[in-house]
Amino acid sequence: MKTLPESLPAREGDNLDDANKCMKCGFCMYNCPIYKVDHIESHVARGRNVLIRQANEKTIPTDAEYAERLSYCLLCGRCAAICPAKVQSPDINVAARTDVVNRKGLSLPKRVIYRGILKNRKLMANLLGAAAIVPGVSTKDGKPLRHMADFTSVFTKGLSLPKLSKPFLSSLLPAKTSPPQGVKIKGQVAIFPGCAFEFFFADIGEGIAQVLAKAGYEVVYIKDLTCCGLAVRSAGDLKTAQQMAKHNIQKLAKFDRIITGCATCGSALKDYGKWFGDKDPFKKQAQEFSAKVSDFSEFLAKEGIKSKAAEPVVVTYHDPCHMKWHQGISSQPRELLRSIEGVKFVEMEGADDCCGLGGAFTLAHRDISLAIQDKKMQNIKNTGAQIVVTSCPGCLIQLKDGVRRNKLPVKVMHISELMRGTEDK
Amino acid sequence: MTAPLDLASYAFDGTTSWQSKPDVVVFPTTAEQVSQIMKLATAQKIPVTPRGAGSNLSGGSVPVSAGIVLCMTRMNKILKIDADSFTVTTEVGVVLNDLNLELTKQNLFFPPDPQSFLAATIGGCVSENAGGPYAVKYGVFKHYLLGLTAVLPNGAIVKLGGNTVKNVTGYDLPQILCGSEGTLAVITQVTLRLLPLPPSHRTVVAVFDKVVTSGQAVHKVLTAGILPAKIEMMDNWVIRRIEETTPLGLPLDAGSMLLFELDGTQSAVDKDVESVIKSCQQAGAINVRAAKDAGEAANFWTARRAGFSAIYGASPNIFAEDVTVPISHIADLIDKVQQIAKKYDLTIVIIGHAGDGNLHPSVLTDKKNAEHYARAEKAVDEIFLAALEYGGAISGEHGIGLEKKRFMKQAMQPEAIDLLRGIKKVFDPDNILNPGKIWEEKS
Repeated sequence: MKTLPESLPAREGDNLDDANKCMKCGFCMYNCPIYKVDHIESHVARGRNVLIRQANEKTIPTDAEYAERLSYCLLCGRCAAICPAKVQSPDINVAARTDVVNRKGLSLPKRVIYRGILKNRKLMANLLGAAAIVPGVSTKDGKPLRHMADFTSVFTKGLSLPKLSKPFLSSLLPAKTSPPQGVKIKGQVAIFPGCAFEFFFADIGEGIAQVLAKAGYEVVYIKDLTCCGLAVRSAGDLKTAQQMAKHNIQKLAKFDRIITGCATCGSALKDYGKWFGDKDPFKKQAQEFSAKVSDFSEFLAKEGIKSKAAEPVVVTYHDPCHMKWHQGISSQPRELLRSIEGVKFVEMEGADDCCGLGGAFTLAHRDISLAIQDKKMQNIKNTGAQIVVTSCPGCLIQLKDGVRRNKLPVKVMHISELMRGTEDK
Repeated sequence: MTAPLDLASYAFDGTTSWQSKPDVVVFPTTAEQVSQIMKLATAQKIPVTPRGAGSNLSGGSVPVSAGIVLCMTRMNKILKIDADSFTVTTEVGVVLNDLNLELTKQNLFFPPDPQSFLAATIGGCVSENAGGPYAVKYGVFKHYLLGLTAVLPNGAIVKLGGNTVKNVTGYDLPQILCGSEGTLAVITQVTLRLLPLPPSHRTVVAVFDKVVTSGQAVHKVLTAGILPAKIEMMDNWVIRRIEETTPLGLPLDAGSMLLFELDGTQSAVDKDVESVIKSCQQAGAINVRAAKDAGEAANFWTARRAGFSAIYGASPNIFAEDVTVPISHIADLIDKVQQIAKKYDLTIVIIGHAGDGNLHPSVLTDKKNAEHYARAEKAVDEIFLAALEYGGAISGEHGIGLEKKRFMKQAMQPEAIDLLRGIKKVFDPDNILNPGKIWEEKS
């Protein structure tokens, strides 16, 4: 009698039982940015999977202590990449967080932010707009957004946030951006800007559209998209995240190609199919949508477009976790950078090491986040590069914060900023 | 750390059979701190279990008597790489792969390569006397241990051994600590011997119709006077899993595959490759050839590692056994394992370091299926007994810990076990260091 499967079982995400598949080899410890800082086993996939397994078996309570252990994770995906048994520990952690939220509910501030503000793009614009006109919030470059912090109770602990854009992308970017005259039109794409390029880096959002247009694409911008939902899902509020995904999928249904310049949004959009259960009738539509999503650099690497830097510069690249580990994109941005005239590309040591932000992680565990950031800064400094390029607004925030803290003479840029060239600015 | 959830994550090692929570986990960063902890533990008679990454496979680092887990992972500095004397002195919490990366930068080579190198700490490797594929030619950890600093249970900090390959100053005390599974003293620092990095490597892959034939081929290669750096074996089950995940064009009906790595100077390696191919052909290989280039060779070795992954992903519980037999009996042991698999109607995958007689027959099972699990346990027992019958050992590189304790009586004479007890008593009269491991208490 054969009682065991002959082949490897399928590894579907979002399944708490997957924690049982961890064979405890401990390889995840080698790749975990948090474990490398604190060496605490309950903060790394192997130890956490044991806790999740025990919570499943109800031998430990799913209380605040448990939720706190689950929070020690950047969801960067390195553990899954190195796992010999292909255990998807980040998905398991999200499932466990969701389980806690389902049992205990969300705290009031989180409920307001996830279910009220982030979901409602117009409300978010209005609230952020109100914050933007408060003196000192949007005018002083590089200063912490204290008013925002009080306002949403999310932004705290001295992380220097970018100033709010004025105006927001919705007032900056037309509904359609056409290729410049003389450029042959290859097709049409829709862009998914994401919250960061809507509200904090609107000029980059505009630049993303313009570079795509320069490459020969008519770029459609839809104003009433909502947040990609990743932060909400990561926090365990799956239901709200699903509503956000549905909204975005329906708004973008008629487009064949959706491009995003945000690594985090990209990994969320490409994962939408996984956010819905097997029995959910919406799953198929979500999967079809996910297949149409490309990251900005992934899409453009195939286009062979020419751009030129304003002056000769030495550039290095930081791999966002949501780009390399979640989407498997690492060669394309480098190809693009090398193709820019005037750019000398240098690789930094540990280019694919995490920047330490991890969304809300940096606010919950600031000391660990900074320890990870410090190492990154040292590696950037060692290259002698004048510019560090990345593809994720979260990394932009963290790297800019690190450059400021360490007083490095280095500019932090999104890849599109270099490709946009000077003539448009 | 004393929070119940943190303690729960220090209750296990790499095995699936043992779990026991400590009362507290401490993270010393100096030998002096270890000394203070040991003095306190001795005064209060508190059990202390030293731990590295907890990736060991025998229950060795599971704190079965509760008490203190002494987690050494924060003592993780490489202190001195001496490229002129070919030695490295390092703290014990350094992860083996991190050490290797630093050594490679200086063209230095530390051969022992337990396949847990991404997790395992140097201290854990010394304490378990770990080894891996390179053992065929280069031996295991004990062959590279020159000296160490350790803290005795009474808190004394002692330096044992030295910095030289030749050293006969009294009993070889570092060797007594090597493989002692944390039962004698807490090692805080070690000095290891290094080799120059061999300039050239080539890989030969040989395919056989039966596992037994490949076992005979290993014997043939070695007796022809060639000493490959590695000889690894994979059976049909593993070959098929590899092809599913990473297609390399391996023949799906092949019974077994051997991978050889030859290293040394270019001309010697080329000659050895020819000789290995000839020996495999004589032994009856269906197909044997050298890898085209370094890229293809790397693919084969990645596949070899993927083989182990496939086993680990294949069923809820795995007994990845660790028996070792004299090289002349490899084929006999394989034969026997296959008979045992048939007898108990189990899937037993064979993968291992065939070149040094160390095989990992892996029994796939599920603890939740009690009847199946019981059969698997019986099969494991018989595999151990078979290894002993062929003059082998019940553990090649994983250690005894808890998992193989009950076989000690068959593996060692009573007088020899008494010697172990006596040594333990000299180091640790109060029996506070990792108690309950290696041998069974006298009833």
